[in-house]
Formats: sequence, C-alpha cells, structure tokens
Amino acid sequence: MMLGSMVSLLMEGMITSIEIFLLTLLFSLPLGLLIAFGRMSKFTPLRLIMKVYISIMRGTPLMLQLIVVFFGPYYIFGTTLSPDYRFIAVIIAFSMNYAAYFAEIYRGGIEAIPKGQYEAAQVLGYSKIQTFFIIILPQVFRIIIPSVTNEVITLVKDTSLSFVIAIPEMFTVAKQIAAAESSIAALIVAGVFYYVFNVLVAFVMARLEKRYDYLN
Amino acid sequence: MSLLEVKNLKKSFDENVVLKDISLNVEKGEVLCIIGPSGSGKSTLLRCITDLEQEDSGDINFDGTFGLVFQDFNLFPHHTVLKNIINAPLKVQKRDKNEVLKSARDLLKKMGLEDKEDAYPHELSGGQQQRVSIARALAMNPDILFFDEPTSALDPELTGEILVVIRDLAAENMTMVIVTHEMSFARNVGDKIIFMDDGYIIEEGTPEKVFSSDNARMKEFLGKFYD
Amino acid sequence: MNKKIGFILALVVIAFLVMGTASAGLFDFLGGGSNNSARVNNDNNTFIVGFDAEFPPYGYKNGSEYVGFDLDLAQEVCKRNNWTLVKQPIDWDAKDAELNSGSIDCIWNGFTINGREKSYTWSEPYIDNKQVVVVKADSNIKSLSDLKGKIVETQKDSSALHALQGDNKTLGESFGKLQEVADYNTGFMDLESGACDAVAIDIGVAEHNIHSRNSTTKFVILNDTISSEKYGVGFKLGNTQLRDQVQKTLDEMFADGTVAKIAANYTNDGVPGSLVRK
Repeated sequence: MMLGSMVSLLMEGMITSIEIFLLTLLFSLPLGLLIAFGRMSKFTPLRLIMKVYISIMRGTPLMLQLIVVFFGPYYIFGTTLSPDYRFIAVIIAFSMNYAAYFAEIYRGGIEAIPKGQYEAAQVLGYSKIQTFFIIILPQVFRIIIPSVTNEVITLVKDTSLSFVIAIPEMFTVAKQIAAAESSIAALIVAGVFYYVFNVLVAFVMARLEKRYDYLN
Repeated sequence: MSLLEVKNLKKSFDENVVLKDISLNVEKGEVLCIIGPSGSGKSTLLRCITDLEQEDSGDINFDGTFGLVFQDFNLFPHHTVLKNIINAPLKVQKRDKNEVLKSARDLLKKMGLEDKEDAYPHELSGGQQQRVSIARALAMNPDILFFDEPTSALDPELTGEILVVIRDLAAENMTMVIVTHEMSFARNVGDKIIFMDDGYIIEEGTPEKVFSSDNARMKEFLGKFYD
Repeated sequence: MNKKIGFILALVVIAFLVMGTASAGLFDFLGGGSNNSARVNNDNNTFIVGFDAEFPPYGYKNGSEYVGFDLDLAQEVCKRNNWTLVKQPIDWDAKDAELNSGSIDCIWNGFTINGREKSYTWSEPYIDNKQVVVVKADSNIKSLSDLKGKIVETQKDSSALHALQGDNKTLGESFGKLQEVADYNTGFMDLESGACDAVAIDIGVAEHNIHSRNSTTKFVILNDTISSEKYGVGFKLGNTQLRDQVQKTLDEMFADGTVAKIAANYTNDGVPGSLVRK
C-alpha cells in the first residue's frame, strides 16, 4: 500500500482519536475541579463520596470503566443499546476517569497555596469567587501544569483503549491495515502520528507553562 | 465616639483561651502599639478585629474601611507590583482606573519603589515587598491601618526602612494599630501603648507611663529587651 | 465552603455519575423502545454483524471499506431479507458482552464452533477449515502414521502448526523434523524438490496451491486430517428466531450456487476448498 493512501486511511482513525481527546479534556477539566471542591469540602458525606469516587476511578482499569459505562445500561436496566451510544459512552468513561486524576492534581495545587493568600484577599475585600479565580487559580495553574501535561499526553495514547467498545480510533485502524497488508508499516506510521500529536501537545503545554510562570 | 471600640473580647482555640477579656479604643489619628510576649494574644486580637478570626464573645464596633499589613507580606506572587496595588481598588471598590493608577504611582513613589511597578514580588527584597504590601493596603484608602508584626520576617538591616515608612504615615496622622516587637520604635511612634500578656491587657497608656510601669510582668518583659 | 454549596455540588456530581448508566435508558425511554429483555430479533431491519477486522479473508479492511468472505455472505443475506447490513468491527475480547447486550446481532467472522458449542446459538457450519497433509503423488506416505521420521513443513503461526504443537503434539513429535517456513509457496517448492516429505496446511490453502500450480497429478492430499475446525455464525444463546431466518437464507444461497460464487472471489485465499457444501 502506498504511504499516502495509508496515511489517508489512518486519518479517519486519527480524527476519532482527536475527537475523543478534545471532548474528554472539555468535560474532565471542569468536572475535575468540581470533584476537587467536593473532595476538599467540609461537608463530610460529600467529601467521602468524592474520595470513594476518585479511589474507584484511579483504582480500576479505564478499559473496565469503558465496558461498564457502555454495557452497564443493558446489564443493569435491560436497556437496548443504541449504536450512537458507543461514542457517548467513550466520552463519559474517559471524562469520568480523567476528571478523577485532574481532581487530585487540582487538590494538590490548591492545597499548596498558602493560607495567607486567602487572608490577604479577604482583607482586601475580594469575594470568595473573586479570590478563587483572581488570586488562587492562576497560582494553582503554575503549580499543576507539569502534572496536567503528563496526564494529557497519557490521554492521547489512552484513546486507543476505546476500541474495547468498538470505536475504531487510530491504533485500531492501524492494526486492521497491518492485518490486511501483512505488514507492520501501518503501525509504524500510527506511532509517528501519536508522536507528532504528543509533540504538539507538549509544545502547547510548554507555552501555557511559560505564560503562567511568573517566577522566571 | 472612638473610631474603633473593642469591648470584652474573648476568643479561644479549642481548650486554649487566647483572649480572656480585651477592651480598647482607638481614636482617629491615633497610633496604638501593642506589645507583649509571644503567645500573649496580640496577633489573635488583630485577627479578630480584621475578621480573619471569629470572636467567641464581645463587641467590635468599627464603621469604616481598614487595611492589614501581614508579617510575611502575603503579596500575590502572580501579579506585578502595580497589579498587587491597583487590583482590589478596581475589582472590589470599582474605582476609576485613572484615579487608581495615579494614586498607586503616588504611593509607590512615596515608598521609594517608583521603578518597580512592573516587577514581580519575588524580584524584590523583603523590605521592598513589605513596602509594596503597605502601599497595597493604603491604596484602599483605609480609615485605619493594622500592622501584624510588620518587621518580624525581615533581616535586621531591612527593618529600619519599614519603620521609617510607618513613622512617615504617623506624621500624616494615619490611624494605625501596630503589633510589634520593636520596643524603641513603639515608644517613639506610639501615641498609646498596650502591653498584653496571657490574654489580658496588663498595662495601657502613654509610652512614658507604660515603659516606666512597676508591673512585674511588664518589667520582666522589658528586661528581656534591655539586658 | 458552606454546606448548601456542598450539597448542591454533591447533587451535580452524583447526577453526572448516574448519567453514564441512565442516559442510554433515557434516550431509549424517549424513543419509546425500551424493553427488559434483550432483543431476539434485529430491530429496524438492520442487521449488525460483529467481526474482528484483523482476520482476512473472512473480515478485514480493504481501503476504507470492510470486506471479506463472511461480510459478503452477510451482505447477500441482508439483500435477500431487505435488511440493512451494519458492519461493526469489535474488540474480539468484548464479543460476548457485545452480543448479549444486543449491540450486535451476531458474530460472523471465521468464528470457530468447536469448543463453543454451548455458548452460542449457532448456524450450521459453512466452512470446514481442515488441516491436512500434502505429499507427492508417488510418495509412499499414505496415512499420518507414515509421517514418522519424515520432514514436514508448515507455515509459521498457522493453524496446522498450532495443532501439531498442541492437540496433536504426539503426531508432531513423531516427525523427523517439523520445519517452519515463511510461506506455503516455499513449502511446495521444497516438497517438489524433495527438500521435505510433506506439507501440513489448511485444506483451502492446499487446494488453492495445488490448483494454481496445475499440479493435480503431482500432489495428493491425504484422507487423514490433522485437525478440523468448523466455522459458523454465532447468535446470542436462545436467539433461534434470527438464527433460523439467517440459516434459511444461507441454505437458499448454498442451493442456488451463490455461496460458491462468492467463495470464488476468495480463491487465492483457499475459501472454496473449505466450504462445507460445494
């Protein structure tokens, strides 16, 4: 197979991978913040629920979570599964899983901010919401960007797990081409794709890191 | 009526009673210095008055705006010097930007930091940071300015520059309450001195009166500084 | 954070947690199609075939299309029943969950019946993938026992090799040498030149090679088979209604020669030689 046609075939899978990647970030980054708040709440039941949630999401394989989210409705409620639900299930499972990791990263960042920052903001009359968004969050960003970068790069590669519920993302397409062609060339090309994708991600994150690095 | 009135203030943390029965007044234009050994409740008193702690009982009557200068500055590290100063007047007090900028630059000039407005806090010395934090508090146009051990985190050679700033403010009749360990400074700048120990006000009055007190605890405390 | 905000947050997050399981139910409820039993028939006249897209010639990717002998059969079955075929490549490890939950209607993909008889409702076998032995026509090897001490070649990672190293290990060990070659082309060249005494091979591939070489007189296939595996279409256990309909159509297709015609398109892969009914 010509390299050009191989790349164009892989492109379909690549688009699926990118969709999973972007939608997961779109939902998991804010959801992680909510979970982090719950995890740090003074309201004990909420704090415990979030602790258990994070523990389960981090303590079980994402592949299992994908299976549970997709097949769960049938096994629990006997619901007929619509084909459209496959992709929705991927986004739900990825978002829930990554939100748990992001929540712990946020929590680490938020807890690293000295109490004096809150007090200074309070004395200056900032509201709680202003304090969080103007004073705390930008400092949290600087602290957490390296950890977030790690997770985001892992996410790029984790998208390949979604084939467990039959979403043909790039790596699956590459394996199919490799099987049809009896050659691993497609897998190598897929590897290059992932690498380029991650170099791009790392570049964007490095820019962000620089933007928030007020200490240098 | 006094600008600030504190009556029968009590505060404890769990079993530890920190403020046992504190009453005091601060008049407009007055400089009150609060001295006393560590753990006597000075900082807690200031924190109750500035709402950073909730008192258990007692009254705090104060109708106006205040500023607080912390021991370790608590500048916002991600904001430039200028933004540290102008952000609250703009975002909280919603004042006019040109007016705020002008007053911030006047304050920086007064603090000898006119060339530092674009610097970040970590690029400044401790003394410079504390001057920025004083400017930040003053930018809110407070009726009263509280200082919580403003020189304790500074090297001795940087202490002087902060004391000079506070002295200048006193000369402009700024109302201030200063918790401090600098005895000679308290004596020189304070219109009134309060000596606290173990959650009580032990001695209170003019510097002359307090520093020549016959109270045993007062004498013991001062002895540690003049030995 | 005060308790009220905490409580609202708890609600939001719990709502999100149940969303994963509830949303499908909700969609379905809104569509009015909910029932508590797995569907026994294919809904909306769509026929969703689950297959492993890495298994040529039965199902694989060709360009941007999924093709293969099994998918061609499925296409013809759908055409005759006025169904729309959905080719759903699946993760082979999730095939049972896919089938049981009704997200696919059948597994049709060189799916071996042997050993799985009781796990699925099966169509009748349509492919008999026998592993056989090819020898020279003038050879004195007439049965598997004659292979003792002989040099036998097979392709690396082939079904025959697996059988000779697994279930038929005793037979494999009786050979003088079990030699792996990269492809059967080499095997047949070795057989012809005398470099080996026999080739162990899938029957379809054997027939394909013998015919394409025009050497029906030169080589013979022993009647004894090393092993055999039968392929069928697997339906959810109990889904006889859909199985019967597909079986009926398949029977018609065998009868009118359509199956053989489709198999002919995969001659190079030896499919015609493996058909249960010719």
